[in-house]
Amino acid sequence: MVTLFWMQCGGCGGDTMSFLNSNSPDLLELFDTLGIRLLWHPSLSTLSPSAQNELIETLIQGEQPLDILVVEGAIIRGPASTGMFDTRNGQPKKDLVATLAGQARHVIAAGTCAAFGGLGTEGHTKATGLQFRKREPGGLLGKDFRSASGMPVINLAGCPCHTEVMAGALSALVSGQTPELDEFNRPLDWYGMTVHQGCTRNEYHEYRVEEWDFAQRGCLFFHMGCHGPLVDGPCNKLLWNGRSSKTRAGVPCFGCTSPDFPMPYPFFETRNIEGVPIELPKGISRAHYLVYKGMAAAAAPDRLKKRETKI
Amino acid sequence: MAKKIIRDIPLNRVEGDLEIRVELENNRIVDAWSSGTMFRGIENILRGRGALDGLVITPRVCGICSTTHLMAAAKALDQIAAVSVPDNAVRLRNLTLMVEHCQSDVRHSVLMFLPDFAAPIYQAHPLYTEAVKRYAPLQGERCIDVVRQTKTILEIIAILGGQWPHSSFMVPGGVTYVPTMTELNQCRHILQHYRKWYEQTVLGCSLERWQAVRSATDLDAWLAEGASHRESDTGFFLRFAREAGLHALGQRHGCFLSYGSLDLPGDTAIVGAGEDKLLVAAGFVGKDGQPQRFDQAQVKEHVGFSWYTDYPGGRHPFEGETDPQATGAEGKKYSWAKAPRYLDQPAETGPLAERIVGGDPLFCDLLRRDGANLVIRQLARMTRPATLFPAMETWVDEMIARHDQPYYTAVPPLVEGRGFGLIEAARGALGHWVEIKDGKISHYQIVTPTAWNGSPRDSEGVRGPWEEALIGTAIKDIDNPVEAGHVVRSFDACLVCTVHVVGPGRIPVRC
Repeated sequence: MVTLFWMQCGGCGGDTMSFLNSNSPDLLELFDTLGIRLLWHPSLSTLSPSAQNELIETLIQGEQPLDILVVEGAIIRGPASTGMFDTRNGQPKKDLVATLAGQARHVIAAGTCAAFGGLGTEGHTKATGLQFRKREPGGLLGKDFRSASGMPVINLAGCPCHTEVMAGALSALVSGQTPELDEFNRPLDWYGMTVHQGCTRNEYHEYRVEEWDFAQRGCLFFHMGCHGPLVDGPCNKLLWNGRSSKTRAGVPCFGCTSPDFPMPYPFFETRNIEGVPIELPKGISRAHYLVYKGMAAAAAPDRLKKRETKI
Repeated sequence: MAKKIIRDIPLNRVEGDLEIRVELENNRIVDAWSSGTMFRGIENILRGRGALDGLVITPRVCGICSTTHLMAAAKALDQIAAVSVPDNAVRLRNLTLMVEHCQSDVRHSVLMFLPDFAAPIYQAHPLYTEAVKRYAPLQGERCIDVVRQTKTILEIIAILGGQWPHSSFMVPGGVTYVPTMTELNQCRHILQHYRKWYEQTVLGCSLERWQAVRSATDLDAWLAEGASHRESDTGFFLRFAREAGLHALGQRHGCFLSYGSLDLPGDTAIVGAGEDKLLVAAGFVGKDGQPQRFDQAQVKEHVGFSWYTDYPGGRHPFEGETDPQATGAEGKKYSWAKAPRYLDQPAETGPLAERIVGGDPLFCDLLRRDGANLVIRQLARMTRPATLFPAMETWVDEMIARHDQPYYTAVPPLVEGRGFGLIEAARGALGHWVEIKDGKISHYQIVTPTAWNGSPRDSEGVRGPWEEALIGTAIKDIDNPVEAGHVVRSFDACLVCTVHVVGPGRIPVRC
């Protein structure tokens, strides 16, 4: 059996809720197929408080082997580096996370808060991710941390983490595969493409048919704050709940898989200079982009300009 | 002299973390302190951000009710924009919020509340073997079925709003997307599938049969009527609880609060509660049992026992601050949750409060007969979806019939103003109080249902609802205090919300 311990720290439980949406295989089939034994999950387990304390003690002592530690939520270090804004039995949770990470064969950060700190990085809570604080390597465990398998913390970014990403990462690790990671230790299978890929508004984007308001069909990148072309993630490949994605449903991508999330400027506006976004898709030359988009807008067919093409 | 002991009880299977400190005398709880052990400071993160940014940040308060926070945030901005939201947008918003409730109520009941019946402490209970077969965590037949089915209804939110959890498809003036007819038809199919499953397994009868249960006597007759009633989750819960004597637990407080929820579209076949044009009535029922109109100006938050900079008495959320202060006075302050009060009184909120405020005949009768115990509180939650499905179906049908009508009214940029969004979350009254200055958020306070229910003492030293409800509870095994867990879980504790919401405050409870 493969043992798994799931810890929740400074988060909303959304990664757990997202994971419960698993389909083909569903959560229970996945555990069953992979031979995963869930030692503990705060929302799903019934261990009594004393049994839970005993379990944690045996994990700390190494008497109970721990194959996979999943951490959900940011590591809270405030106030004044004590971690007392988030405690278990009066002790800061961050210390327990560090101890268990030292025992685990693999460590997974479920969601952007656990990976990079997410929501709490700017506030009172002095939050950090397990091995990064935003873009900066280090975090709780330090940049040189490696789990017993020799791998760093596997960062399954997203707010929340997509259920298929979690299921896929567990499948790979249990099968002894080594996922290829990007510079932020996110598996390239899911973070090697932009959120923009697969968006049903792509034709509108291509010809720069842009929207200034909600409930329209055009592209949300130029004025509405969409980060789809700027950040990496599989939202429009895997789709959510097997059905759709935010950008398809007219909600700008807020870049929640990025180490920078939440970005410090307003979510529903695109920062721009004379109508051209300040941030352009990775690796693009600004001058070429201006020419390209100018020509594309001039070439836009009427069916797009009239918003006739469905999304 | 009786021996007094004090124990900390961490509770799991709640959303978030909660620790309860109890004082026991002869194995009976004589005092209780509910402690939110996490501070996330969400409200402070919002200050200075763009006027609409609450639509993105506040859903992240809570993974199980993100659509609910989105709704409260959007309604506060609607008010600031002084915009009238088109009927179709009202229908779409309502439908998605109700979908989230139907998911949450069933997941809470079967994955979080009922697994306690499979705990070893009930080995002598005649239904114990059956309880294990049904509700053992992630192995019981009903748990497996609920994991597989509850995700299906959430597909409706993904179709209409992009994803669940954590989308931001409600905006001031309406919603971001005009669904196609095909998509609305899909929503109808998903809804029918879930309703049928809910009727067959959770309820054990048709909605129509359940709606005919209008008194405590009717409920007894319903339970005796047939095997499908007895074998459903609702029937099993009632039988197990009766045998275990759970009606005696979780009493001792008497105020109920509902902010009211689910605005009726201007043109709809659905009839609302009272004169407010709401599907779920607003109101307050005090200890005298008399219903009163709800007035948001009477909501105040106290911090006398919460880890925040002190101020005397209570403050309205527009005047409230969230300034964490965890040093000093440790003997007195014990929670990151603030203590909300209505007319200076603590109040229970949630599905039971909604039914009492709305004058539901069954629950008013059960309250008269048995008091506000944990069984009727949990029954109100398990059966709430039955009160929602008819309006959900009607509103999908009305969107299909009026498909050419708008889903959004353009709103100019929000520069100045203040507004509130008050709704009923799955767990009860949720409010966002928002102020915009110079196009930026200058003030944001969230008061969550768990802040109400899991409140610490107020400035006058008065306990919060579940602190009070714990008093008198007998605990068989202090190392596994299942009874205290029942009481707190009957309120459907959501500490992640409290944390965020209250500014600071997340309460971990494990049992």
